[in-house]
Amino acid sequence: MLELTGVVAGYGGGAVLQGVDLVCDEGTITCVVGPNGAGKSTVLRVVSGLLTPSEGTVMMGDIQLSGQSAAAILRAGVTQVPQSQALFPHMSVRENVLMGGFLIRRDKKLLMSRLEQVQQLVPLVADRAAQHGGNLSGGQRRMVEIARCLMLDPKVLLLDEPSLGLDPRSLAAVAELINRLHGDGVTVLLVEQNVRLGLGLATHGVVMEGGKVRLTGSATEVMNHPEIATLYLGGTSATTKAADAVPHDSAGAPSQ
Amino acid sequence: MTELLQAVILGLLIGGVYALMASGLTLVFGVMNIINVAQGAFLIFVAMVTWWLWKHTGIDPILASVITTPMMFGLGWVLYRTVIVRIRGSSPSMSVLLTFGLALTIEGVLNLTAGNKFKSATPSYFEESFRVGSIALPKAQVYGFVAAILVLGALYVVLTRTWTGRAIRASAQNPSGAALVGVGATSTAALAFALGASTSGVGGSILSVLYPFFPASHYDWISRLLGIIVLGGMGSLPGALVGALVLGLAETLTATYGSLRWATLVFYVVILAVLLFRPQGLFGTRLREDAVA
Repeated sequence: MLELTGVVAGYGGGAVLQGVDLVCDEGTITCVVGPNGAGKSTVLRVVSGLLTPSEGTVMMGDIQLSGQSAAAILRAGVTQVPQSQALFPHMSVRENVLMGGFLIRRDKKLLMSRLEQVQQLVPLVADRAAQHGGNLSGGQRRMVEIARCLMLDPKVLLLDEPSLGLDPRSLAAVAELINRLHGDGVTVLLVEQNVRLGLGLATHGVVMEGGKVRLTGSATEVMNHPEIATLYLGGTSATTKAADAVPHDSAGAPSQ
Repeated sequence: MTELLQAVILGLLIGGVYALMASGLTLVFGVMNIINVAQGAFLIFVAMVTWWLWKHTGIDPILASVITTPMMFGLGWVLYRTVIVRIRGSSPSMSVLLTFGLALTIEGVLNLTAGNKFKSATPSYFEESFRVGSIALPKAQVYGFVAAILVLGALYVVLTRTWTGRAIRASAQNPSGAALVGVGATSTAALAFALGASTSGVGGSILSVLYPFFPASHYDWISRLLGIIVLGGMGSLPGALVGALVLGLAETLTATYGSLRWATLVFYVVILAVLLFRPQGLFGTRLREDAVA
C-alpha cells in the first residue's frame, strides 16, 4: 500500500532521514516509535509532500508520491494530522471540517455528503458546529483535526503524536476513532512517543533511531522486543525477543 | 442639535471611506503578517492616476475606480510575485522596511512625473450638497461613502462566502494547516495582497475628490490607516470598520466643537485609552489557545 525506499530527507542542516525503508500494508495501523530526533515526524512530512526527499521514493500502490506537491498527494488519498495545532482558530468547527474538503469544493453534493458521513463518525462536529476551533479543548481539537482529514475519504491517514497533551478520556475517544477508521479499511501510519499506547493501538510497529529504521514487526513483537523494553518501557515489558521481529543493521537494511 | 447630527453624519460618511482605505492594510496584515506601509503610497498613486484621467478624459473621478481597482489588483499581484514573496516568512519588521522602500519609490516616481504640487479632482458636484431637512450632505462625500460601503460589502462577501475567501482566511490563521488541506500558500498570499492593493483603487479615486494631495501625502495617510487598524485590532476587518468610524467621528466632532487642529490628535488619544484596556484592539480576539500560549 505505502512503501518508502531509501528515503533521505532533511531541512537544510543535514539529512534527518538517512535511507528509510518502510512498508505499510493496506488496512493496517503502523506505529513508528523512537526517541526524539529519530526522524519519526519527518517520515510523515515526506509522505504527505510537505518535505521533498533528496533521495529515495515513496509509493502508494503504483502511484509515486515523492516529488509530487502536497495538494497532489492529498488528491491521491493521503491526509495528515500534524503534531502541532492544525485547526483554523477563528473559524467555526463546521467551517474547519469543510476546509478539509477544499480539493472537492466544486462538487457541492459530494462535499455535503462527506460532511454528513463525517458528522456521523465524529458527532462532535455537529454538536459543536458553531464553536470556534480555537476555543476547543485539546481532545476536541484532535477529534476535529481527524474529522477534517476524513472529508477527502483518505486511503492513508497519517497521524503525528495523536496522544500529545490529551487526558485519558480524550485519549480513549481518539483511540476509538482510529480503531473505527481501521475497521473501515483506512491504512493508518502514526507516530507516537507514548510507546505503550501507540503499539497497543497498532497492528505493526516500526522503531526508528538516528534517521534509520532499527526494527520492524507486528506491534506485539516490537513491544516485546528486549531492546524496546529496555529503551522505552523501563524494562517492564516482556523481554522475549519475537522470532519474526526484524532487526536492521546500522545502514537501516534488514539484517536477517 | 442639528449641528451635532450634521457632525455625526459627516463623521460616519468619512469613516466609511477610511474603513475602505484601511481594509486592504488589515487584510494583508491578517493573511501574511505583512505591514504594508506602501498602502498610503498606493492611495496617492491611484489618486494621481484618477486626477489625470479626470483632467484629460473628463471621466468622473469616483467612477474611475472601475479602471483603477483592476489596475491595482494587477499591480498588487505582480508586486507580490516579484518583490513581497522574497520576505515571505520573515518578521513583520522586515515587511515594514521593504514596503517603506516601495512607498519611497512610488513617491519619487510621482514627484518626477506629476510634480510636487497639491492636486484635487473637482467634478461638477464637488461643491453641491443633498439637503435632508436642515442637514447638508456634501454629494462627493455621499458618493464616496456609497462606493466605499459597496466595496467593503463585496470584500466581506468574498472573504466569508467564497472558497477563495475561506482559503485566504485559513492561510491567515494557520498557514501550515492550510497547506495540509491543499490551499496553495503562494497563490493565496498573492491573491490576498492583490485584493488589499485593489481596495486602494477605489480608496484612491475617492481620495482624489475629497482631499487635496501631493506625492508626499502618503505619510499622513499611512499613519491614519495604521492608527485605525491598531484601534480596531490588527488583521480584523470589522475592527477596521469600527476604528475608521471612530476616527471619522473624532475628527468631525472635534472640528465642530473644538478646533480642526485638534481633530486628529483626539483620535490618537482614543487609541491610547483603548489600548490601555484592550491591548489587542477593539476587535482583536483572544481565544482559549491565546490564553494557554
